[in-house]
Amino acid sequence: MLVRFWGTRGSLPVAPTADTIRRKVAHALVSANGKRFDNVSDAEAFLDRELSFAAGATYGGSTPCVELEAGDGSYFICDMGSGLRPFGLESMKRNSEGHRKTYNFFQSHLHWDHIMGFPFFAPAFDPTAIIRIHAAHPDAEDALRRQQEEISFPVPFDWLRADIQFVQLTPGEPYEIDGVRVETKHQQHSHVSYGYRFTDADGRTVIYSTDSEHKPAKMEEEAAFIDFFREADLVICDTMYSLAESVSMKEDWGHSSNLVAVDLCHEAGAKCLALFHHEPTYEDEDIQRMHEESIRYEELTRREAPLEVICAYDGLEVRL
Amino acid sequence: MDYSLERRVETIIMRVAGRVDESTWVAFGEGLSEAIAQARQHGVSSVTIDLAMLDYMSSRGLRALTVAKREADEADVTITLAAPNEVMREILAISRYDKLFTITDTVEMK
Repeated sequence: MLVRFWGTRGSLPVAPTADTIRRKVAHALVSANGKRFDNVSDAEAFLDRELSFAAGATYGGSTPCVELEAGDGSYFICDMGSGLRPFGLESMKRNSEGHRKTYNFFQSHLHWDHIMGFPFFAPAFDPTAIIRIHAAHPDAEDALRRQQEEISFPVPFDWLRADIQFVQLTPGEPYEIDGVRVETKHQQHSHVSYGYRFTDADGRTVIYSTDSEHKPAKMEEEAAFIDFFREADLVICDTMYSLAESVSMKEDWGHSSNLVAVDLCHEAGAKCLALFHHEPTYEDEDIQRMHEESIRYEELTRREAPLEVICAYDGLEVRL
Repeated sequence: MDYSLERRVETIIMRVAGRVDESTWVAFGEGLSEAIAQARQHGVSSVTIDLAMLDYMSSRGLRALTVAKREADEADVTITLAAPNEVMREILAISRYDKLFTITDTVEMK
């Protein structure tokens, strides 16, 4: 199974400014210290070797969209954030090379940052494409139609020519969808959100659990999440705030923290945690610091097998 | 995880040893409530958690501290974290809980 991240930012898409890019370039030039590079590849190798990820790259700024390459040839996509747009264009190239034009979407919830990419999803205009939108929310279609009403967007939902189907899921029930076993679970968030557990024919398991708050007064409910995450190969988790923020200023905002994600993964025996749904006000250095602190916290609290902690960024691919 | 309570004139000291994690956070929370109840009973406005013998505290323990702080605030009792070892200092910094609680180097410091 391959997991490809197209959008990893929460709440609002963001983009680096000219000043941010200038600072990165200047820092790289100073780090190179007069070194000559024969070609771009050599220069890129230097970046990978000598600069931190925040200094030499970027975590990106598209809102949530995660693709799973799994199953028997259709597409599997979690959420329709602004990252859906580049995925849609890329998928059309794959379609021209013979990829099956069936898109299985799985919505965590219907907040704007998780649906804003759909009006720009090019395959939705292809009359030969099949788009199945799986959601535990009964009002998924309402949410998508509403954002394409004339007051908000110039292209109405009814102009989309693909075969668009809405499939309502029931939490706790397993589904076999195009070669992948899918389960969904209720999570604490405004208008409710749902986590997903995907298992392929080889038993590889990915958890997608974003926009899920774990409140101090409800810690006894976390046993259900530990069971849902059990022995997963990869857990993609909302780690938007520090633990202190999540229990004080940002309580009831519907998000979680890196420490809770590490603890849940430890208890579930998961192998790898991907930090996800990054705070839009964070610069790359802030996200990198959060990643480093999460790795350190995992080391300090580890008991048995280590948990690999990675930080999702737009463009990251993880092969399981 | 073990804990003990000591009543002093100015504060109730809760000494914690071992680990506060998914198997012990409930008992830790009960100990915190007991300390706050003792503070109320004896007209003491402070509870001091002695962390010197704590191996580590996971997010369960930290959030149990948050629940206790809410209980303490209602009783006009202040919770102070004292004598964290190096591991606990790191965890308090990583969690940013050093912004939510007063932390002192020793039990005696205010």
